[in-house]
Amino acid sequence: MANFHLEIVSMDGQQFSGEVERVVFRSIAGDVAILSRHTNYCTAVGMGTAKVVTPDGVEKKGACIGGMISMMNNTCRLIPTTWEWGEHIDVERAKSAKLKAEETLKEPELSPEARARAEAKLYRALIRLQTASGRPE
Amino acid sequence: MAAANMKAVKLRIKSIQNTMQITKAMELVASSKLRRAKEKADNSKPFFETLRHTLSDIANGNSDFASPYTKENEDERWCFVVIAGDRGMAGGYNANLFKFLEQEAKGKDFSVFPIGKKCVDYVKRRNIPIVTEQYAVVADVTISDCYSISKILCSLYSDRKFGHIALCYTDFISMMSQRASNVSLLPLSDFKEDKGDSASQAARNLILYEPSSEEVFNAIVPEYLAGLLYGAICESVASELAARRTAMEAATDNAGEMIDKLSLFYNRARQASITQEITEIVAGAEGV
Repeated sequence: MANFHLEIVSMDGQQFSGEVERVVFRSIAGDVAILSRHTNYCTAVGMGTAKVVTPDGVEKKGACIGGMISMMNNTCRLIPTTWEWGEHIDVERAKSAKLKAEETLKEPELSPEARARAEAKLYRALIRLQTASGRPE
Repeated sequence: MAAANMKAVKLRIKSIQNTMQITKAMELVASSKLRRAKEKADNSKPFFETLRHTLSDIANGNSDFASPYTKENEDERWCFVVIAGDRGMAGGYNANLFKFLEQEAKGKDFSVFPIGKKCVDYVKRRNIPIVTEQYAVVADVTISDCYSISKILCSLYSDRKFGHIALCYTDFISMMSQRASNVSLLPLSDFKEDKGDSASQAARNLILYEPSSEEVFNAIVPEYLAGLLYGAICESVASELAARRTAMEAATDNAGEMIDKLSLFYNRARQASITQEITEIVAGAEGV
């Protein structure tokens, strides 16, 4: 299958740069897979597990949250706000973040902003756990 | 007379030594902080560059103006987000940035969104309208603050308070050189590199936006503003520390030179006074 160039750059630096066969991620409107020679494309990235398939068929997973992706002239740039490779995820930390967020959400008098923040935190922790538990395949 | 002179020189040497200690300490503090700041700036640089590159690609190819963020704007009111330092003692770091801002803003109707205490002082002194002073301390600005700032900017823009939003910061080129520069933030059409060629570009680069261009831009723009702001803040902080380190290094060197000169002068004066005493004694002995 044809390959294309993918760059993943998050605020913490460049996470990936190289030829890939396929990249699957969750956009704000649902899951999307991008293959080589996709038309010029741009969308906002939601929260979810992203998969990168390299030309030798190896699939790598990452927790991909926020940001944008653009496919221009067969070069794909994924620019998430945060990106963590599955094998780098600190499961204990994600678990404690999940518990903490759940505790916060239990409080009855929570301001709407604090609630939104806690919900986002919980969601991020869940995605990280889900991404981390997906390995090894 | 010689004794009084010597005393004065001695005091002066002492005071310069004290100053030198301070500048030396500041240099050391700046260089230890710089290492971390540089790492942060190096890490955020690819993100910053890629984001800007992607956005200019999109702006060049964009032929869709459903979102207010992408439309070219006739409104000539500008908002400059200026990232300066919290403290002085950093050579020309703050002054260069303000000079650059003056150049950029010449003849424009503009307000400033200051980040950094020095910047707040500057705009107040110049009576330039201030958007908000909420983020005056650049050292305290976190990623989540960048998101709040970008939300404020987006709402200012969509409420038509400003027609253009630009960012002035200091680019960290290397340990030895930093340059004040700017990027435009909104509207996206300001990103176009060559405006004359946009029609042919649009024909070649049709882009598919999902679910719709409006939704995509409304989701991306606040994110990208926050990303650019964060990158610019990392660069500026690293630049400030590098500028301070260089300035303090020079100050310490100068103090050392001054001490050397004064010590030489002091020793000469001491020797002269001894010689004089001997001459006096010899002359006295001859008289007996």
